[in-house]
Amino acid sequence: MKKLVESSGVEIAFKEVDVVTTGTFGAMCSSGAVINLGHSDPPIKIDHAWMNEVEVCHPGAAVDLFIGATNMSEKQPFEYGGGHVIQDLAAGKEVELRATAYGTDCYPRTQLKTTLTKDDLNQFYLLNFRNCYQRYNCAVNTSDETIYTYMSKLLPRLRNATFSGAGELNPLMNDPDYETIGMGTRIFLGGAQGYVIGEGTQHSPKNLNGTLMVKGDAKKMSPEFLQGAAFTRYGTSMYVGLGIPIPILNEGLAKKTAIRDSQIFTDVVDYSVPRRDRPKLRQVSYKELKSGSIMINDKKVRVSSLSSLKMAKKVSQSLKSWIEEGMFLLTSPVERLPSDSVFKPMRQTQEIPFVMSVMHPAVTCSENEEIRAIAERIVTKSVNHIVVVDDAGKLKGIVTSWDITRAMAEGKKALADIETHNVFTAKPDEPLEIASKRMAQHNISALPVVDIEKKVLGIVTSEDVSKLLGR
Amino acid sequence: MVRLLLRFTEEQVPQPIASQIILECKVPMAILTAHINSKGGEILAEVPDEAQEKIIKAFRERGVTVTVPKLIEVDAEKCFSCGSCVALCPVEAISIDKDFIVQFDKEKCVGSTCSICVDACPARAIKSVKQNTEQTVINRKK
Repeated sequence: MKKLVESSGVEIAFKEVDVVTTGTFGAMCSSGAVINLGHSDPPIKIDHAWMNEVEVCHPGAAVDLFIGATNMSEKQPFEYGGGHVIQDLAAGKEVELRATAYGTDCYPRTQLKTTLTKDDLNQFYLLNFRNCYQRYNCAVNTSDETIYTYMSKLLPRLRNATFSGAGELNPLMNDPDYETIGMGTRIFLGGAQGYVIGEGTQHSPKNLNGTLMVKGDAKKMSPEFLQGAAFTRYGTSMYVGLGIPIPILNEGLAKKTAIRDSQIFTDVVDYSVPRRDRPKLRQVSYKELKSGSIMINDKKVRVSSLSSLKMAKKVSQSLKSWIEEGMFLLTSPVERLPSDSVFKPMRQTQEIPFVMSVMHPAVTCSENEEIRAIAERIVTKSVNHIVVVDDAGKLKGIVTSWDITRAMAEGKKALADIETHNVFTAKPDEPLEIASKRMAQHNISALPVVDIEKKVLGIVTSEDVSKLLGR
Repeated sequence: MVRLLLRFTEEQVPQPIASQIILECKVPMAILTAHINSKGGEILAEVPDEAQEKIIKAFRERGVTVTVPKLIEVDAEKCFSCGSCVALCPVEAISIDKDFIVQFDKEKCVGSTCSICVDACPARAIKSVKQNTEQTVINRKK
């Protein structure tokens, strides 16, 4: 379609093409499955349940369970989770179920252990409340340490970038006004036929961050298109293959489905900042993202995808052949999805403290000062930490009262012999809890607070933290 | 060329073992990666095929643990070509082709001294495989 519009124009493409198939295959954490087990004898009203050691929830009556993709195994956390249980069930594997209950007159049983396959379940429905993100951030890390996120492993100092989403192949990007995609639209879901059942949670179509809520019979699905995933130090998830046919009902849709990666932009976001609103470093097109590298602050950064473009293509091609073979019939939606809503942040009634709220001015010294002068300053200012700065006020090192004591004992005179150069620091807009964890982790009692250019703005000490907690 | 993983103990670090062997065997040795500190470390080196036996013998005589590492293995069944590993690889041993299929070049991979991709694979399709584990375990216990 895209090539046809480019070569022959919208009018001809509209006449020639009936349907455009789309597809995406990415980690979709807000996925899960509803199952019904049937009743045991004597019957049980499940209170807590585990499948392959993954805790599952019991949102309804006695034997209805919901397997959340991100719930993790208690025996192999971060490696095996709800997504893997769903994949194993879809593959026809046997899964172990364990349940406990408090016991009632009508449901007397309190313990249960059995093994099940999908054929033993009454219902096994994939029920994903947020799938098919229209586009997603490109993630980077500007800090000095590797971080592990839901956007995978991000190396320090912009050494890599990750992105997610199929770009021009994404279903919602091809029908951004929700003309054909709505409640009741039949779709490709996990290798079988499923349905759109409404807008997804956090649906934010106005800024091109639309999402879908979908369901489908997981008994008919294929483990190839429903894959459990493990993100180191983040947790488990599930990759879902989802494709939507877009009937070309008018010239407008012919034009919209001709969208190219070069026309789809997203933000490069710094995930090292542990805040809701993370710094956006630039805008980047999916064309650049798929090229393998992007430029950030004059630095060439290698970028790779987290969602599988190979599988996204396979989804759209499978859907195409189903339609051609008459195995898949298109439906018109029974109700339109909202196309102008935006995703709101959480209302918070309790503010959490940030480094900025407790930091205070740092007592500093220059690199060529004598230890004696510094010792005097420690006494007169009654502090334990002196921050070493250069003429521009930039961080050079730190000296503690203990370093001074040791220098006295060992007869050292030069500051250079005792100061610590490799200093752990805090940022002013960092949550205090994170700075406090950093102190505990490295067994230190203060962190100079610095800006992006390492200029010292103040200091935060473990005393500041305990004062705040003791309030 | 053959790749050898040389493991040095704390006691061996100060000795100029590698240079002695290069001089003695008169064999060029390319050092691909090296991670060494005062507590010991590893060197991944590349040597010509015909010199492999001589060099391995010389290192072993000096107490260095030599393994011919099988390095990184990718389970093609599990890999669904997301590409998460591609940009991480420091030697560009992993690439993505025009059909968006992830390709792994064993020749370029430096293996277990790097392993940067292993914990970044959401499909857990990448494994770091070490050979001669018995020997390395003995060395570590020291």
